[in-house]
This record gives sequence, C-alpha cells and structure tokens, in this order.
Amino acid sequence: MRLNPIVKKDVKVQSRSMKICWGVFAYELILAFVFFLAIVVIKQQSRYSANNIYSAMVWIYPALAMTQLVILGIVVPVRTASAISGEKERQTFDIMMTTGMTPFSIIMGKVMTAIIQSMLFVVASLPVMALCFIIGGMSWSYLLWFLAIALLISFFSASIGILCSSLCKRSISAVIMSYGFYLLFFLGTVLPYLIYSITSVNMSYSGPATVFSVSYSYGENWCLFLLLNPAVYLTEFFAQILVGDSIANNLVNLTGTFPTGGPIRYIAVNNRWLIVSTVMFAAVSFLFLWLAAKRINPIKRKARKPKTPGAAG
Amino acid sequence: MLQIDHLYKNYGKFQAVRDLTLHIPQGDLFGFVGPNGAGKTTTIRIVCGLMLPTAGRVIINGVDALSRQREIKKQIGYVPDFFGVYDNLKVREYMDFYGSMYRMNSKEIARISDDLLELVNLSDKKEFFVDTLSRGMKQRLCVARALIHNPALLVLDEPNSGLDPRARVEMKELLLNLKGMGKTIVISSHILSELSEMCNSIGIMDHGNLVAAGRIEDVMEGVFGSNQLIITLDEGRETAVRIANEHPKVKVESVGEYEIRLSHTMTKQEIARLVGEMIARDVLVTGFHKQEGNLETLFMRVTESEAQEGGTENAAESNC
Repeated sequence: MRLNPIVKKDVKVQSRSMKICWGVFAYELILAFVFFLAIVVIKQQSRYSANNIYSAMVWIYPALAMTQLVILGIVVPVRTASAISGEKERQTFDIMMTTGMTPFSIIMGKVMTAIIQSMLFVVASLPVMALCFIIGGMSWSYLLWFLAIALLISFFSASIGILCSSLCKRSISAVIMSYGFYLLFFLGTVLPYLIYSITSVNMSYSGPATVFSVSYSYGENWCLFLLLNPAVYLTEFFAQILVGDSIANNLVNLTGTFPTGGPIRYIAVNNRWLIVSTVMFAAVSFLFLWLAAKRINPIKRKARKPKTPGAAG
Repeated sequence: MLQIDHLYKNYGKFQAVRDLTLHIPQGDLFGFVGPNGAGKTTTIRIVCGLMLPTAGRVIINGVDALSRQREIKKQIGYVPDFFGVYDNLKVREYMDFYGSMYRMNSKEIARISDDLLELVNLSDKKEFFVDTLSRGMKQRLCVARALIHNPALLVLDEPNSGLDPRARVEMKELLLNLKGMGKTIVISSHILSELSEMCNSIGIMDHGNLVAAGRIEDVMEGVFGSNQLIITLDEGRETAVRIANEHPKVKVESVGEYEIRLSHTMTKQEIARLVGEMIARDVLVTGFHKQEGNLETLFMRVTESEAQEGGTENAAESNC
C-alpha cells in the first residue's frame, strides 16, 4: 500500500521538532498528576468508609481515559485547524493544488497525520494507563476499547479542525471556529431535547387545594440528537464498561409515556447506542472531510460561455 | 502547446481578464508583461487550474484544462511568485515529497531529482534543510521541483521578484537552459530587460486586455513601424522639420525641443544626405541615431496608448 505523501512528510517534519517531545512530556505529566490525585482522593476516602480500596481503584481507569480524551479533543482541532490555513499562510497551498494529488487525498493526508500524532500520545501514555490494570478487576479489552474510542475522537476532532481550516484563511480563526463547532456538538445536540422538555411541561391547577399536578412529556425524537453528543457518547461508554448500565435506558425511562416502537427505545433496548453513535460520528466526520475537500478544490464547476462576451458581472 | 480562447474572469463587476485569446507554440519562452493588476497572475492561475474562469477555454497539449484537471496537472509545472518552505525538510526530501505527489516511485524520484538538482546547481545542497537556503537557491529549487514530473509546460509567476542580481542572472541562465532543452515556458515578470534577453515571444496585458502578443520582432515592428530615426539638435528645429517633411521617404513622428523623431524607408546614404542637408541649412545637429525598439519602450508605448484610450472612453462615459 502506498503511503499518502502528506502523511510521510508531515510526520517526518513534525517528529524532528522538539514541540512533539515537549507535547508528549506535558501529556504524560498531566496523566501522572491525575493518577496521583485519584490515588490521594481514594486514600482519603478509605479513611472514612468501609469500602474496599481496590473497588475504588477501578475508577482510576475512567479518570485517566477521560482526561486523555479531553486533551485529545482540545489538542487535535488546534493542530488540524492550521493544516490547510497553515499551508495557505506558508504559501505552499497553491503548489500542492497543482500537483497530482486530489483535494480529498490532501485532506485525508492531513487527517491521518493528526490521527497518527494523537495515537502517538495515546501509546506514549500506556505505561501510565497500565497502572489501572495492576490492581485487577479490569479487563485488557477495556484498553483496546479505549484505543478505539481515542481513534474515533481523534478522527472526529480532526475532521472538525480540517473543515474549519478549509473555511478560514487564518489559522487562529480556524481554531476559534473549531471550538465553536465543538460547542455546537456539546450543547447544540442537548438544546433541542432540553427546550422541548421545558416547553412541554404542563402545569395545571386541580381542585380547591393548592396542589399543582405536573405532567412531563419528553420528545423522544429529540433524544436522537444526543447520539452526536461527545459527552453522552463517552458517558455511555464508561457507564457500560464500569457499571454495565446504559444512558440510553435512562432516556427510555424518561420517555416512558411514548409507544414502544420509537427509534430511541429500539436503540436503547437493543443496547445499540454506542454502535449507532459511532456510525453517526464516523458519518459526520466523513461528511466534514468531503465538504473540506469540496471547499479547497479551486475548480468546482465547468466554465460557461458568457451570454454577452465582455459584459461584466 | 498552450491555447487560450476568449478567456474572461470577473470579480463581481470588475473584469480582471477580458476576452483573452492567445496561442503559445511548443518550445517557446513566452514573457507575460503588464503593470500590476493587468490580469497576468489571474491568467496564470487559471491556466494552472488554481482558479476558474468566468468564461473561456484553456487547452494544453490538446487537452481541455478546465474539464480534465487530473491530466492537466501532469502537464504543468508551476512556480509561484513567493516560495514557501516547510521547516525541518531537507532538499532531497523536498524533491521526494513532490515527486511522490505525482505517484512516482522512490527510485525514479531519486534519479530525476539528482539530475534536476544538478541542472539548478544545487547538487551539493541535497542534505541541507530547505529553510537554510538563500532566496535565489530556494527559487531554483522551486523550479527543479516544478520539473520533477517532466511537465510539458512550465509556468513561472514573477520568479525574479525579490532576488538579488546574481540570483537573477542564475535564474535567467537556468531558464535559457530549459528553453534549449525544448521546454515551453511561460514567465510573467516586471523586469523587462531580462525578458527581452530570454523570451522569443511576448504578450502585453493591460487592464485585463491582451494589447499585443506574438514574436518579439513582430510585435516591435507592429508597434514601432519599420525604421525610426532620431535626430538631436540645438538650433534650427523648424528648418529641420521642413527638410524632413519635404523628403518623400520620411514621415515626422514627433517633434521635441531638442529632438525630432522620424519614421522612414531611407537607405544609409539617404540618411547621411538628409542630415548633411540639415547641417548645410544651418541646423545645429548634435547627433542622430536609429531608434532600436526595446521591450521597455514597446511596453510603455503599448500601455500608454491603452491608457489614453481608456482615458478617452472614461471621458466619453462621463460626458454621456
């Protein structure tokens, strides 16, 4: 298989820089700090409770994993947001566009570079992550699941960064826009459900007593937006791994007044939240990459002959 | 090699390129000349597939450049006016990167880039980081990069801007070498003297229009006419003009305070006799010489008349 030239070049160039070494160092430092903080908290708690310290240690895994995913979610858009706009600022973009590479392969090269970098960070963190497994109670498959989730989060974050990079001329604008997109996914996907829930609260006065009966109706279809919420996705992942519970079940309980055939119920009952959500995240990521490729392609349509040659506008 | 038909490019109501039709034959070194904002870079960007025209057609080697982009990219090598570099990339790796973008294999890239680096006189810089090279070296490297896939057409947009005199000379020699190898080269530049030394054909653009194009000699003849004679004098201007006007083979083009510009079909002897007659009639002739048309005067003449026409048009429009 032929390696994308952009991946080959970018990985080589970036690995020569000291930035990557300092980045890994800072990453490990944060994880070590979180690990020791978790140990201190567990130790403090064990003084005042009769709970087994070993069962509490299991929670170090989600703490470290969540920390890593949050860091990746913050760092990857910053790195990818300058991928295309950085080429434009360096004035190497035009040269790139006149070569034999298609806009999509250029975009994919940039995304793959970002993913490889993220995975370098994740793999470098394995010694710290391995500390969660020495106590026992955790399966090694959880580590593989974590790697898979980190891959997906990196891909999703990179696609947002690349799209914003293709939309903006300057890297700094692209970074700001990337975080705006992130906010849209974190808050925008919850808002329809929340707004519907709040506006559909029916408060009615019943009888002479000062008693209000309050009935709630939750919009089941609005829950579907939550499938694209990264926070819900990660919560579902850790809930399933650690307590065997599903956030989807809770949503079903809230939407209990709905008939049994609704889509959210189908997803929840059959325990498909993670699968459906993963597919949706991947689909949205590919959509963003396709849009970015369309955006950077200078030849978007065929030229037409003017109706009146020489007429401006 | 390069055929441009009725090309238009509008930015809103502003027309950057207006009905540009041009043909550049195989092996030509074509100089694109024009003031800032004339539409040269826009035309070059359209030819290289970096911009879509409002209307028109670009054909390179018989292939439509706008509908068959992937094929065209293999035929074009593009050198922009500014050379951006990647930090931490060596010259050899730089060539390897761009070679692999054309799906060339490592052996092929190594072989061709060795030859190209020798051609641009950078063989000894293979292991140097690109960002440590001088601007002239970078520009030559950029030319080598543009040639890695052996394109039929090399397009250079202001390659000499910001280069020191030595680097300019080296670049000129490089382009002449490439011309000698039979490459078709399109180069846009403001440095007209260099273009006139290198190019065998030119196109002059002004306000989006191609005001003159063709072989340099043909364009010169079209603009300056056959022969021009300039007579400089201190006294007796009126007498000199009268003598010139009386000569059947002479036409007075312009009269300055100390200079008369004539177009003529005289032989050397007839010129000598004419000047002799002026001296005999007390005209104080301080010198005379044949006007040699050069690219600067050609450019000034062509863009001057365009500006005047534009001015007249504007005046007419404002009167309406």
